[in-house]
Amino acid sequence: MRFLCFVFITFFCINIHAIDFKELETEKGIKFWFVQDNTIPLVSMSFSFDGGMVLDPTNKEGTTNLMTSLLDEGTQNFSSLEYKLALKESGTKIFFTTDREKIDGTFQVVSSQLQRGFWLLQETVNVPLFNQKEISKVKKQIEASIKIDASNVPTIASDIFNEEFFLDEKFSRKKKGTLNSLKKISRKDIKDSFRDHFNLNTLVIGVSGDISEVNVKKYIDYVFGDLPRKKNIKKTSLENFKKGKKFIDYDTPQSSVVFGQRGLKRQDDNYFAARIANYILGGGSFQSRLYKEIREKNGLVYSIRSYLLPLKNDGLVLGFFQTRNENVDETLRKVIEEWDKVSKKGVTKKEFKDAKTFFKGSFSRNFTNTLSIASLLKVVQYYELGNDYFSSRDKMIDKISLKQVNKVAGELFNSDSLFFVIVGKKPGE
Amino acid sequence: MKLVFLISFVFMFNSLDARDELSLNPQRFKLNNGLDVIVIENKRAPVIAQMIWYNFGSGVEDNGKSGLAHFMEHLMFKGTKKFPESYYSNFISRIGGSENAFTSYDYTAYYQVFPKSELKKIMEMEADRMINLTLTKENVKIEKKVILEERFQRIESDPSSQLDESMKSILFPNHYYGRPIIGWRHEIEKLDYSDVIEFYKKYYVPNNATLILSGDIDLATAKVYAKRYFGRNKKGTKIIEERVLDPEFKTKVNVKLENPNVKQTIWKKFYRVKSYRDSIKDGLALDIGLKILSSGSSSLLYEELVNKKKIFSAIGGYYQGLAKGSGLIYFYVIPNDEIEIEKINDIVQSEIQSIIKKGLNKKRFEIEKKKYLFDSIYELDGILNPAQIIGEAIKSGLKVEDVLDWNRVLKEISVADVQRALEEFQNNKNYVIGELKK
Repeated sequence: MRFLCFVFITFFCINIHAIDFKELETEKGIKFWFVQDNTIPLVSMSFSFDGGMVLDPTNKEGTTNLMTSLLDEGTQNFSSLEYKLALKESGTKIFFTTDREKIDGTFQVVSSQLQRGFWLLQETVNVPLFNQKEISKVKKQIEASIKIDASNVPTIASDIFNEEFFLDEKFSRKKKGTLNSLKKISRKDIKDSFRDHFNLNTLVIGVSGDISEVNVKKYIDYVFGDLPRKKNIKKTSLENFKKGKKFIDYDTPQSSVVFGQRGLKRQDDNYFAARIANYILGGGSFQSRLYKEIREKNGLVYSIRSYLLPLKNDGLVLGFFQTRNENVDETLRKVIEEWDKVSKKGVTKKEFKDAKTFFKGSFSRNFTNTLSIASLLKVVQYYELGNDYFSSRDKMIDKISLKQVNKVAGELFNSDSLFFVIVGKKPGE
Repeated sequence: MKLVFLISFVFMFNSLDARDELSLNPQRFKLNNGLDVIVIENKRAPVIAQMIWYNFGSGVEDNGKSGLAHFMEHLMFKGTKKFPESYYSNFISRIGGSENAFTSYDYTAYYQVFPKSELKKIMEMEADRMINLTLTKENVKIEKKVILEERFQRIESDPSSQLDESMKSILFPNHYYGRPIIGWRHEIEKLDYSDVIEFYKKYYVPNNATLILSGDIDLATAKVYAKRYFGRNKKGTKIIEERVLDPEFKTKVNVKLENPNVKQTIWKKFYRVKSYRDSIKDGLALDIGLKILSSGSSSLLYEELVNKKKIFSAIGGYYQGLAKGSGLIYFYVIPNDEIEIEKINDIVQSEIQSIIKKGLNKKRFEIEKKKYLFDSIYELDGILNPAQIIGEAIKSGLKVEDVLDWNRVLKEISVADVQRALEEFQNNKNYVIGELKK
């Protein structure tokens, strides 16, 4: 129960430093990255379209999430139930999720069922039904989920954090929407959202697994080839973020705290140096300074973490912890102390060296299975990290100096620009 | 169940020569000190997963000492004389490996995944902390605070978890499944240094453990190093399991948790049922039956109550059969606003009754069986999974042979078996109902 839901970290698969991926293009001109791996009779595909929550019409927050939640609820040739049974019967898994600035899809199929699996995906991507009956059902489910979230203290803290921290309304809203906004979303809004998202020009695809090059090209054309090509969505840069503290009174014995400040763009030349600095500050699970100082030495929390969150055209540093109401002030103070320490004094040579070997050694964990390979291929394309990313990553890490990490840490971590949301009860009340 | 997936996989690919390298072939030996060792060779990548599974979890705790096994698990990361403080974790991070641990009712396990070249050091450190922890009173004091924070995070600030905890304590009035793994708050608060040391010395001995090495390692290598590093740990007293049973219920219990923070009503129902240990065949029939009846958004209950009658937002029911003691079925319903929670049980019961009366549809049965086979392929996409599956099975009272034989049993199951399993389930009176509301 140290971490009850432990992650299946599986394969350090293949020699990843020499990951043998191919950049391919289909007859219809769709580009994608591909790793053929026949070890297990399985194919995994990961893809995304630009858009996401920020595309929701004002006052109709939750539209994109509702649309992606409806994609397995029936298509031209399958009722909702038929579709779900067909997935089971053909060893196929299809999931869509809504993110801030994109929607993601994953598709997996056992290789003996390629044809049926891709057929189901093709139906979803081209002819989903969005029946009124299913819309009402899924709306009710999202409503229930919003109500469940409303009594989950960490989720409340994170929702309020987003609401306040982002001054741009498109970013501060909730992905699921609100009970009120959901009511306003019509079938037409959902269909519009579908049309706005499924745009060939913003599609990014990674595929890995037991399928031939010829077949994978053929199936990608079959699934995505008839989608329209439209203008790209304008990238948003965020000007300002809120600072300071916000306290929300809530009847609970343990407070939830979420905090953050501006970070770096994924494409920033200093991004990796920042990643190393953050690993040392609060990113590296049992190794980070926040973990050691706040949990190991003082027993104030069970979990505490900081992480870099890249947006399409911006970036954030975020963190969270939970602690008994009476310990909130002390823990906050310690977080700020560590924030200042890494900023002003930097990291030690040993921490720096250990972080580098961690990043080099653990990268192969992304290649634990076909889905994580496909997903990495997609992410590298999405953030435009370049087709030499895999071959040059080690060299790039080697080149980063201690001086550079300390300089970046000094510029990035600024406790004055941190914003904290605390949901809990003030002690003594 | 992961167990199921793996086994079906073995079956499928035994018939395909080209895929032979994928079949699971565990090899087993025992050291003189009683340490049980299983090697699952798999050369797909130069990586090894080491898992050590201890035969005990919260089940061995004395009365009044709930939470001690989990507490001990946390303390196992505190260092030894040779590898002090967080040296072990630090080493694993540095080489880009990963590690974690978990405590259950029936077992406690620790694992690491790492490049093959580090095998000796990792085995040495795992063997070392089995007997050489250098705990201080200060370690114990601080970690107790962490565990209390963990309990607050998981239970005290979550009404739904509080309801589950209470329902389990009623469902298992006699067995240790009724006591939370993390421990009752008032008992955790009283655990001290001497409790910990006594527990550690008594239970952390080689003859209470199974070491599983999975990945790029062969039997001969495993034998050499297991003997070298674990062989020097002295044998202790082996745990003798006494199986405790719970009484048949003569009463009905509804547990209610009302909390103004709750915004969504949730209904739950837990059943005490047979485990795979009692009968693999019965367990599998029940598992398939529940998959058809209540699992996921294509189940019969979902179709009827969510899609057609539109009175629930969701319904689900699942079987957990891997257990030394009884198995568990858990059902939940998220009702739409207009339904009174008191009526839910009758609605669900009468629906189940009418489904069973009509008889199961063969097509649905075949689909679920097929899905078992396909899922097995997904489950094999990894190095830790086989170690996890075998470890969990043997620590839940099954044999390695049961795991290897799983698919044969699955094949034997007929629609009639599943029908019978559901009928038995329907007549099961050993349940408790829980209501979470505003």
